[in-house]
Amino acid sequence: MAVINLKNRQIECKIVYYGPGRSGKTTNLEYVHRAFKKQVAGRMISINTDGDRTLFFDFLPLGLGRIKGCDVKVQLYTVPGQVKYASTRQLVLKGVDGIVFVADSLTVRREKNMRSLKEMHENLKRMGLDIRKIPLVLQFNKRDLGKKGLPVMSVEKMTYDLNRQLKVPFFPASAISGQGVGGTLTQVLKMTLQYLQQEFKWA
Amino acid sequence: MNLEEKIRLYFKEAEVYRSQSLLDEALDKYRMVEKLIQENRKIQNKKPLLERVAARIAEMEKRCKKENKPAKPPPVSDEAQSLMKEMFSFDDPQTKGSASLGGAIALAQFGQYDKAIEEFNRLLECSELRFEAAKHLLQCWISQRYSDYAISLFQKWKKTKFLPLDQLEALRNQLQGMLKKEGIERDLSDIEVKKTVEPDSEVEDEDILDINSIRFDLPQGPDKGRRVELEVGFQSGKFIKMIIPREEKSLIQSIKPGDLLKQIVFYSPVAIFSGTGFVSSKKEISSGPKRGDYSLEIKIISISS
Repeated sequence: MAVINLKNRQIECKIVYYGPGRSGKTTNLEYVHRAFKKQVAGRMISINTDGDRTLFFDFLPLGLGRIKGCDVKVQLYTVPGQVKYASTRQLVLKGVDGIVFVADSLTVRREKNMRSLKEMHENLKRMGLDIRKIPLVLQFNKRDLGKKGLPVMSVEKMTYDLNRQLKVPFFPASAISGQGVGGTLTQVLKMTLQYLQQEFKWA
Repeated sequence: MNLEEKIRLYFKEAEVYRSQSLLDEALDKYRMVEKLIQENRKIQNKKPLLERVAARIAEMEKRCKKENKPAKPPPVSDEAQSLMKEMFSFDDPQTKGSASLGGAIALAQFGQYDKAIEEFNRLLECSELRFEAAKHLLQCWISQRYSDYAISLFQKWKKTKFLPLDQLEALRNQLQGMLKKEGIERDLSDIEVKKTVEPDSEVEDEDILDINSIRFDLPQGPDKGRRVELEVGFQSGKFIKMIIPREEKSLIQSIKPGDLLKQIVFYSPVAIFSGTGFVSSKKEISSGPKRGDYSLEIKIISISS
């Protein structure tokens, strides 16, 4: 849940990168950390396993400066993608204001994407949040692998699988090179701030 | 696409999945490659090819097994623990100090039990939060499979009327529920009049070597964290007795019967090993040359390495 201090004109909101294991959530944050140096307001903290998988979460604080007279701070988080960390995902999702769902474009990961999106839907429901109302952006990551000869799903197919009911903005991306990362983040921030503006009338 | 091309393509795909740690997908592809090679009679010199694929399959199976193993959450850095406390604590503005309680609960949810226990113990001092802190403290011990220790703590609170009677009753129900969830059936009624509950030891008397001395960090008190070494004066299987000289006032104050020492290093003439111990008694010696010193007895609960 965003912290809005109208007296001090400060807004703090939380964006969570959700998605199946190895879809590129941490890579998104790493790229943001490298490419948006001006906005990065602190160290990126990653809590990983021995095998370099996200264990609890990654955390990156951003400062967007003044928007409509308010000082806007954003906390970016990723969830651990591995199936066994379901309870940690619920915990990290608590108090979320906007979500980026990072889907894997590899054909072999189709089912994993759908399962993860379904799980996210259920987790939000458990928290009393509606997936159709919360600011949500889809990212179809690893588009670059198609050029390396690996079977990837078409954007149309991924849209059909994941977005035919949600109808939210989506971005083809390659987080490793940064393609689509900035666009995804900008879009989710825009939607989140609009949502908060409607909810709390801060501007 | 001819067969050779197909094998080459699948193998390349498997290698990319492997490099991306998509283990299940890599394993599937390697198995497809293996099957194609085995079934095709035209391929000459199959043995080295099959050996290479088999090695990859074995590697993937090993990594899958490791990754799917339920892992105990490791303790994380102080910085990460502070972040967990700060960012995942959802406090109730009506209750004083509830942010601290929320922070400790967040730590426990992330499996940072040692730090959470430290915080809950501190919060036990605050009467408004005592019940909640006690409840979560018991849950922390049970989650780490120290159910007997949780029961012994509750027994101690009941004996000393640490909480009002109605809260103790509510806590008993909560504890009973937590134990039931773990598949443990224990009768907790009238526990205050029963023999002191001590955690069961996982080790047999005969498995424990002779111990010369022990080392541990003080779990609480003014010198919390101070490293202490004590000579063992007497040993009977898993029970060891040490003398604490009367001058060691802070040590005497910092260690109490019922404490669980989670990291004790045991020095024996033939090996050094570590484990967990329960302080089963601490008594002042009332006569003889050691009069005024303290006798400390520790029951060894488990040995980890």
